[in-house]
Amino acid sequence: MSQVTVSVRTYAFTWATLLALTLLTSVMGLLDLGTFNMVAAVLIALIKASLIAAIFMHAFFGAKLVRIVVASGVMWFLILIGLTLADYLTRGLLPFPGK
Amino acid sequence: MADPLELAVREQFHDPAQQRETSTVAMWVFLITEVMLFGVLFTTFTVYRIGHPAAFDQGSAQMEFWMGAVNTAVLICSSFAMALAVNSAERGKRLRLAVYLLLTIGIGLVFLGIKFTEYYLHYQDHKVPGLNFQDSTPDARFIEMFFVFYFIMTGLHAIHMLVGIGLLSALLLRTYLGSFNGEYHTPVELTGLYWHFVDVVWVFLFAIFYIPGAHMR
Amino acid sequence: MATITMPEVQAPRNYLTEKTGALSWFFTTDHKRIGLLYVASITFFFFFGGFFALLMRLNLLTPRGLLVTHETYNKLFSMHGIIMVWFFLIPSIPNTIGNFVLPLVIGAKDLAFPKLNLLSWYIFMLGGFVTLYAMVMGGVDTGWTFYTPFSTAYSTTYVIAAAVGILISGFSSILTGLNFIATVHRMRAPGLTWFRLPIFVWSMYATSVILVLATPVLAITLTMVAVERAFKVGIFDPALGGDPVLFQHMFWFYSHPAVYIMVLPAMAVVSEIIPAFSRRPLFGYKAVAFSSLAIASLGFLVWGHHMFVAGMSVYSSMTFSLLSYAVAVPSAIKVFNWTATMYKGSVDMQTPLLYAIGFVALFTIGGNTGLVLAAIGLDVHVTDTYFVIAHFHYIMVGGTVMAFLGGMHYWWPKISGRMYPEFLAKLCALTVFIGFNLTFFPQFILGYLGMPRRYASYPAEFQDLNVLSTAGASILGVGYVVPLIYFIWAWKYGDKASDNPWRATGLEWKTASPPPTHNFEVTPTVTWDAYDYQAQKEELHLG
Repeated sequence: MSQVTVSVRTYAFTWATLLALTLLTSVMGLLDLGTFNMVAAVLIALIKASLIAAIFMHAFFGAKLVRIVVASGVMWFLILIGLTLADYLTRGLLPFPGK
Repeated sequence: MADPLELAVREQFHDPAQQRETSTVAMWVFLITEVMLFGVLFTTFTVYRIGHPAAFDQGSAQMEFWMGAVNTAVLICSSFAMALAVNSAERGKRLRLAVYLLLTIGIGLVFLGIKFTEYYLHYQDHKVPGLNFQDSTPDARFIEMFFVFYFIMTGLHAIHMLVGIGLLSALLLRTYLGSFNGEYHTPVELTGLYWHFVDVVWVFLFAIFYIPGAHMR
Repeated sequence: MATITMPEVQAPRNYLTEKTGALSWFFTTDHKRIGLLYVASITFFFFFGGFFALLMRLNLLTPRGLLVTHETYNKLFSMHGIIMVWFFLIPSIPNTIGNFVLPLVIGAKDLAFPKLNLLSWYIFMLGGFVTLYAMVMGGVDTGWTFYTPFSTAYSTTYVIAAAVGILISGFSSILTGLNFIATVHRMRAPGLTWFRLPIFVWSMYATSVILVLATPVLAITLTMVAVERAFKVGIFDPALGGDPVLFQHMFWFYSHPAVYIMVLPAMAVVSEIIPAFSRRPLFGYKAVAFSSLAIASLGFLVWGHHMFVAGMSVYSSMTFSLLSYAVAVPSAIKVFNWTATMYKGSVDMQTPLLYAIGFVALFTIGGNTGLVLAAIGLDVHVTDTYFVIAHFHYIMVGGTVMAFLGGMHYWWPKISGRMYPEFLAKLCALTVFIGFNLTFFPQFILGYLGMPRRYASYPAEFQDLNVLSTAGASILGVGYVVPLIYFIWAWKYGDKASDNPWRATGLEWKTASPPPTHNFEVTPTVTWDAYDYQAQKEELHLG
C-alpha cells in the first residue's frame, strides 16, 4: 500500500477555503469597485488556482521536476501575454501617427 | 487474481516506480500544453478587454451571474470528490474509489447541465454570435466580441469536461474490473490531475466573464 | 558413430526481421520502425512540396510569369510553404532520426510511451490527408502565414480544411515532444548523467520543450481562424471590430520558435557528426549544451521581428529587435565550437561530414542575414522581399535539409545494416551544395534590389538573376532525387555494415547494425563522458 500523499482533513480544509473564496469573489463582484473589480477577481482566482494545484494536484508535495514543469508553464503564459500586451500598452506614446 | 501492479508495468520500464514517475511528469507536461492552449484565448481576450472595457463590462452584465457562481462551487465540489477518489485509491479502498468517481462524474454532469441551460438562455436572448446575435446598443460590435470569446472559451472548457467525464467513466469501469489497488492506481492520479486542471480553467473563466459586470445587472 | 549436426545458418534477428508483413509495420510500437514510417511520410511530402517549388521557379523564368495564372501562383507559394514547414521540416529530424536514435543513444529499450509514438504518426498522417484534401480540392492562397482578414473573410479557397489539417498535425508534434521529454528525464541508462549525454540529446530535449510550449498556440490560433471563417464572427477581422495584428502576434508566437524546432535537431545531428569525423571531443561541451536551452528559451521572446512593419508600437519593435540580436549569440557559440572541434582534428571527409560542414557554412550565412533583418531600419527595406526568402531558405534548406541528409548518411548503417555508395554520395553532397547556392544566393541580391516575395511576375531587369536561381533549383533537385534512389538501392544491395563503421562514440554504436528490437542485449552502464575519442585513441595505442 503506497503512502497517502495528502490527508482527507487537508482536502476538506482546502475545499472549504475554496468555497469561501468563491463566496468572497461573488460578493465583491456585486459591488461597484471600478477597475478593481477585474483585478480583485483575477487575484482571488489566482489564489484559488494555486490552492487547487498545490493541494488537490499535489504540486506542493511533488517531485522537484513537477514543480519546474508547473513554473515553466506559468512563465511561458506570462511571456505570451506580457510581450503581447507590451505592444498594445505602448502604442500611441510617440507623437507620430500609427506609433 | 493477478496482481494489477505486475500486469500494469510496461516492457520499456524497469520497475513500477519509474513508470509512475515518468507518467506523472508526462501528464504535467501535457497540462502545460493546455495552459498555452487556453493562454492564447486569455491573452486575446485581455487585449480586447483593455481596448473596450465598457463594452466588455456590458457583455459581462448579461451573463447569468448566479448560475456561474453556483457552477464554480459545483466544480470545486467535484474536485474535492476527485481528490477523495485518489485518496481512496492510495489506501486501496476500491468501493470508496468507485463511489467517489461516481460522485465526481455526477457533479460534473450537474455543471454541464447548468452550463447548457445558460447557453440556451443566451440563445433565447439572441446573444449567440454567428447564429442569432442581436444588439442595438452603440457598443454592439464589441459586446458581440465579448460573446464570441464567451462561447469559444466556455465551449472549449465544456469539451474538456466531456472528455474528463469519459475518462472518469473508463476509470470507473476499470475499478469495477479490479485493475487498481493500493500499489497501482496511476491512471486515477493522472485523471485527477486532468480534472483539477479543468477546474482551474473554470476558476479563471468565472473571474473574467461573470464578475466584472455583475454589479451592473 | 557420432553424427555432427551442422548449425543452421539463420538470418540475424534484428528489428527489421523480427516480425514481417504490413500489419507488423502499421501496428508497431518499436520506435525504430515508427522512425522509418515517418521517413516514408516526410519523403513523400518533401517531393510534393518540392513540386510546387519547381512550378514556381519555372513560372519565374520570365518576367511576365506566363506559366500559371497569378491566382494559381498564390496557391503554389502557399501550399509549398504549408507542406514544407508543417509536413516536412517540423517532423523531419525529430520524428525520423530523433525517434530512431534517441532511445539508442541513452541506452533505453524504447521511448517512454511507445503506443503514444505510433499514435503520433497516425495523427500526423490524418493531418496530412486533410491538408492534401484541401490542396487537391483547389488549394489555399493565403500564404503559409494565414494572415487575417484575407484568410478569414476574403479568400475563396480551402482555408478551413488546410487550417484543420495543420492543427491536427500539431497534436502529433505535441505528443512527440512530450514523449521525448519524459524519455530523456526518466529513461536514461544507469550512470548516464546529464553531462555525460551526447549533445544530440540536449538539442532534441530543447526541441521538445519548444514543441510542447509553442504548438498548442498554433493549434488554438488556427482554430480561431477556422471559427471566424465558418461562423462569420469577428476575432481578427477589422470590419467586425477585430485586430489583424493580434492574429500576427499569436501566429508568430508559435512560428518563430517553430524555426528553432527546425534548426535545433539539425544542430543536434551536426554536433554528433563533427566530433566523429574529427576524432576529437566536441569543443566546449557545456557551452554547447546550455546554448541549446538558451536558443529554446530566447527563441520565444523574439517573434515581433516578423511584424516590424505591421503596426506594432516603436518600443515593442525595439525590444524585439534587441532580443533578436541576443538569440543569435548561442547559435554563434555553437558555430565557433564546431569549428574549434575540427581544429587539429584527424578529419575524415566522409559524406556525413561534407553535409555537416555545408550546414555550418550555410547556417552561418543564413544566421548573419537574420541579423540584417533584426535591424529595424534595414528590415523596413528588405522585408517581404526575396532577401527574406533567401535568408530562411539558407537556414531551412542550407541548414536543416543538409543536416537531415548528413544524419541519414551517418546513421544509415545503423538503420539498415548497409552502407550507401560512397563516391556517389559525395558527388550528391557537392551537387546539393552548388545547386543550393546557385538557387538562393541570387535571391539575396534580388531582394536587396527590391523584388517582392509572393509575386508571380517582376520587372524585366530582374530576369537574369531569376534564371540563375531556377537553373540552380534544377541542379539542387537532382542532388535530392539521386540519394533517394541510391538509399532504396542500398537497402538491399549495399555493402553490409559493421556495428560501428565510423568508430564513433555513442551508445548507439555499441549495439548491432541493425539493432535488435529491444535495442541492447544487456542495458549498458555508462561510466564515461560523451565523445570519448581520447580514450579511444589510447585504447588503440595511438597516443
